[in-house]
Amino acid sequence: MTKPILQVENLSVQFNTDDGLVRAVNDVSFAVHAGETLGIVGESGSGKSVTHLALLGLIPQPPGQVTAGTAIYDGRDLLQLCTGELADVRGRRVAMIFQDPMTSLNPFLTVAEQLTEVTQRHLGHSRRQALDHAVSMLERVGIGNASRRIADYPHQFSGGMRQRVMIAMALSCRPDVLIADEPTTALDVTIQAQILDLMRQLQREEGTAIIMITHDLGVIANVCDRVNVMYAGRFVEEATVDDLFARPRHPYTLGLLESVPRLDEAASAELIPIEGQPPDLVQIPPGCAFEPRCRFAVERCSTERPTLSAGSDGTRYACFVDVETAPRREAHHG
Amino acid sequence: MAETVIAKDVATDVALLEVRDLKVHFPFARGPIWNREHGAVRAVDGVSFEVRAGETFGLVGESGCGKSTTARAILNLIPSTSGQVLLDGQPIHGRSDARMRPYRRQLQMIFQDPFASLNPRMTVGRIIGEPMQIFNLHRPRERPLEVMRLMERVGLNPRYVRRYPHEFSGGQRQRIGIARALAVEPRLIVCDEPVSALDVSIQAQVVNLLMELQAELGVAYVFIAHDLSVVRHISHRVGVMYLGRLVEVAECQDLFEHPRHPYTQALLSAVPVPDPRIERTRQRVVLGGEVPSPEFVYPGCPFADRCPIAEPDCIEHVPSLEGDRHQVSCHLVERVI
Repeated sequence: MTKPILQVENLSVQFNTDDGLVRAVNDVSFAVHAGETLGIVGESGSGKSVTHLALLGLIPQPPGQVTAGTAIYDGRDLLQLCTGELADVRGRRVAMIFQDPMTSLNPFLTVAEQLTEVTQRHLGHSRRQALDHAVSMLERVGIGNASRRIADYPHQFSGGMRQRVMIAMALSCRPDVLIADEPTTALDVTIQAQILDLMRQLQREEGTAIIMITHDLGVIANVCDRVNVMYAGRFVEEATVDDLFARPRHPYTLGLLESVPRLDEAASAELIPIEGQPPDLVQIPPGCAFEPRCRFAVERCSTERPTLSAGSDGTRYACFVDVETAPRREAHHG
Repeated sequence: MAETVIAKDVATDVALLEVRDLKVHFPFARGPIWNREHGAVRAVDGVSFEVRAGETFGLVGESGCGKSTTARAILNLIPSTSGQVLLDGQPIHGRSDARMRPYRRQLQMIFQDPFASLNPRMTVGRIIGEPMQIFNLHRPRERPLEVMRLMERVGLNPRYVRRYPHEFSGGQRQRIGIARALAVEPRLIVCDEPVSALDVSIQAQVVNLLMELQAELGVAYVFIAHDLSVVRHISHRVGVMYLGRLVEVAECQDLFEHPRHPYTQALLSAVPVPDPRIERTRQRVVLGGEVPSPEFVYPGCPFADRCPIAEPDCIEHVPSLEGDRHQVSCHLVERVI
């Protein structure tokens, strides 16, 4: 296999809060290769956004603190770079798209001002060059009448159009890695389909590595090559997209797949919810964090934490139990 | 014996809620005073459907299509511009708060945001107990017990009766909202995106709860959501809205398996399915453009400019919702099948 473009090892992030120490990300490792899409799936509070904010030095410190780990990009550790060096990487080599295109664009500046800033800063474009480049980027992401619309303010664009502007901005320096944090969650499905198509097309043309953070399993199935499942700050399963959906190995992954209704399935199929709630990250149980909600839990699970290890088919998962053969506990109420 | 069975069938066939040609327009005036522009946002523009006792009517569409406005107009939370809303054949549109009150007992609502829809200064016990007090249900001494029974029924620990909403998670708060709606034993609950703010693993808990309650209490739902998979799962019949109008209404399975309106087809094909093998081979109808502004008055079909099969005729004539069990609003529907 070729060398990964970004390799993260043993990343841990914690926050000092009034309630205590929140261990948001614990010992997370992953790698992305050029041209592939890596999915990170998890529910709110699972640490999927924090992981990636930490890579770009976007965690406010304090209260946040990156306590361990390396993130090797281009021979350098992103986590060790000083502010100035990091600023050269952000937007230029590793770019990010956020969930809410309204709050991530500056409402006081026109789209032109925001789009040209990136290339002027990173590529040393003149104002003229930067403007031409911005217009061509807007055209590429499918904004009609780009040379006129570029003078508009963000509020004059619809949600889908704003997300296109964000993508144009993120891709305008042709980054190697694009981190997309719930890029379509705020959008309607027909617009989501347009945006996912656009991202796929741009990836084909540029060979960008994409890290797709989402809670939507449909989006994962649609765009990703490999998937990491995150729960309570840890990866609990890593698999290719086909393996993950065909043979989920971690009870949490299985639980997620069984709890979402599918559009292509008649209503008769009963939803099997995951009972209970995600753990409080201040008091993560000593054993497996999923144990209190797990239907396969055995005695060992509450005292000992399983580590990610490879199964027979190359899928890595953190569980003592084999979900295909193990007996299921009946749903307990409470 | 046979006669009673028939009678029962007829009874369930009578519409509990009937919405006839409902319109909600929000007038606006803008621009400088010497060049004032007057118009109206036609949020809901002629919507008709009915909900039978004990059934779930799903209402789907993209943001801005008028689903929530329809819900609010049904409950008289916002005034409707024209049209009728009948509950058990009694008109309830345009009633004053006082004259609406008796119907509030039969018609309740669950809101999307379980944070904003519960009073942070009231305990759970008061939140759920207040509707009983207002309608004078149960003997005052029995109400606390009744509240705890309801809490238990929706999966909340009755010991938490004195806690405040902020002490609960999103999913639990949504259960509080459900218990509050059930407190007056309504016959119809309008659920406006009740699971959209919840995490997927919690969504299933709430969806299952709503379905159990329906089976047990025979309550009918108008279930509004933009998540088509959830709507398919919970609904008996479904209406698809676009720009303030219903473009297709049908039995749930029929609609999802044989969508006939080009918009419904595009909408369904845009939803990603959690199965990579299916995703790779699926044919998509990707619509160009976006939902236009509901300010314009369309001489023809409002979907015509995005429709993949539109003909010149579509721009000139407004289609109407036609059909019996499967209603479609499209001139070219015969060709679509």
